[in-house]
Amino acid sequence: MALKTAEQYEESLRKMKFKVYLMGELVKNPVDNPIIRPSMNSVKMTYALAQDPQHEDLMTAKSHLTGEKINRFCHLHQSTEDLVKKVKMQRLLGQKTASCFQRCVGMDAINAVDSVTFEMDKKLGTKYHERFIKFLKMMQEQDLTVDGAMTDPKGDRALSPSKQADPDLYTHVVEKRKDGIIVRGAKAHQTGAINSHWILVMPTVAMSKEDADYALSFVAPADAEGISYIYGRQSCDTRKLEGGEIDVGNRQFGGHEALMVFDNLFVPWENVLMCGEYEFSGALVERFAGYHRQSYGGCKVGVGDVLIGAAALAADYNGASKASHIKDKLIEMMHLNETLYSCGIACSAEGHKTASGNYLIDLLLANVCKQNVTRLPYEIARLAEDIAGGLMVTMASEKDLRHPEIGKVVEKYFKGIASVPTENRCRVLRLVENITLGTAAVGYRTESMHGAGSPQAQRIMISRQGNLEHKKKLAKEIAGIKD
Amino acid sequence: MQVGIGIKYCGGCNPHIDRAKLALEIEKLLPPEYSLTTDRSSNPWDIGIMVCGCLTACADKPEIRNLARKWIIVAGNSVDLGNIPEEKMADVIVKKIFARKE
Repeated sequence: MALKTAEQYEESLRKMKFKVYLMGELVKNPVDNPIIRPSMNSVKMTYALAQDPQHEDLMTAKSHLTGEKINRFCHLHQSTEDLVKKVKMQRLLGQKTASCFQRCVGMDAINAVDSVTFEMDKKLGTKYHERFIKFLKMMQEQDLTVDGAMTDPKGDRALSPSKQADPDLYTHVVEKRKDGIIVRGAKAHQTGAINSHWILVMPTVAMSKEDADYALSFVAPADAEGISYIYGRQSCDTRKLEGGEIDVGNRQFGGHEALMVFDNLFVPWENVLMCGEYEFSGALVERFAGYHRQSYGGCKVGVGDVLIGAAALAADYNGASKASHIKDKLIEMMHLNETLYSCGIACSAEGHKTASGNYLIDLLLANVCKQNVTRLPYEIARLAEDIAGGLMVTMASEKDLRHPEIGKVVEKYFKGIASVPTENRCRVLRLVENITLGTAAVGYRTESMHGAGSPQAQRIMISRQGNLEHKKKLAKEIAGIKD
Repeated sequence: MQVGIGIKYCGGCNPHIDRAKLALEIEKLLPPEYSLTTDRSSNPWDIGIMVCGCLTACADKPEIRNLARKWIIVAGNSVDLGNIPEEKMADVIVKKIFARKE
């Protein structure tokens, strides 16, 4: 079975034994928990669209290992066309869910780990790539969702991993046994962790020799003994407990992040992909971050498409759609959104082959892409709020709208143009609210800022990759400067 | 005899036309002995319709071209590189199907 159906995916999650805490309580059934379920629906969509002839061209790929049709999220990019299709797939999923659909981290992790383990084995004679390929085959055959886990809590940012007051602030090996290793520490901001079958852990920064115990990569079942999760809160999350469908803004879909804790987790050697090879940790971080910075040129654009559509509908329902400044603001939103998309496509089209055979994006352009993502969605959100009007945050609740007495008042005074029911206006304004400052703002705003690395991380990479000396040489030639 | 017309969609990331609606309209205009199929087991199709949502037509690749002997390429608001309004596309495509069957 190389492709799971959406239903099979949901059933597979039900069989898992996650240890998840949410608001101080252990969650017995994460799949049906009203706070968590919308995020599961977003991942489920990655399975549903792969079965749909109208979307399979983007959602599926041919495995280079088996020749089987597989979900693109389990694929190693074999060409620049694959890299481009990845971005288009992400835009599509952003459009269909208006949320973070979470599965990209695993795809980006396998593509980074593939080339780095290959290069590590070649230089050091280790066997990591062989182990990784064995895992990848299983991932493809079972159509698994894998959480790529990179970000450590990091404690005091001025100190290296081994100098922290608490050694667990970076994930590390505490014991090496004959049959495997014992791991302690945590991974923060883990997108989609509770909707994943496996985790692929990677080091969080470039390491030096003294941090060798922290240069660690491995795979493990997401519900393995020794792994627990503390679910992250989101703005307006308890609206999901109210039972309505308007005030949540996006009733069906969402995203999630969690703190993943390793409490003496045992990892057998066959699942270890880096253990002490500190000189390769930087390359792994750089490549994973590069792929993930490319990702944002697709997924955020798809969510942006929905937000632009919602803002345009809000203008229609307000009777303001013909005002020139509204038209101009919508044009600006589209311009900004397509600018992000252009960066995603550009870094993909300019990708190149690695020694292992898979394709890596152009790292400079991927970092430029993500740097723009740290800014432009904020402006798109600002314009959406401008167009929507203040009612998106002052509007009465769904319960008031449905109330036998005051419902008529809400209906009367929240009406826009006569031909559109008040309820439709409420729905679209709540959607704008959801994306700009509700649960989905986690993905559309702050994740755009800090996900795949905060803005300064991209500036460092742009500085390294920007080829400044070549630019100076060009200027000297034109200016007639002879040194 | 039933005539199967193959249909291959692009991935649909930024469609300028309603691709599913177009396929339904084509099916409605075709005589009962014709049917649209995405099933590739009877490859190659006699005629394939490639339905791409925009002018990029990213599905138009050599390996896809091998799926049918003759193709009608829809790319955004165009059919075989000619601009056609969306509401007239199904009609134009059905005429092309008949012409290619002759």
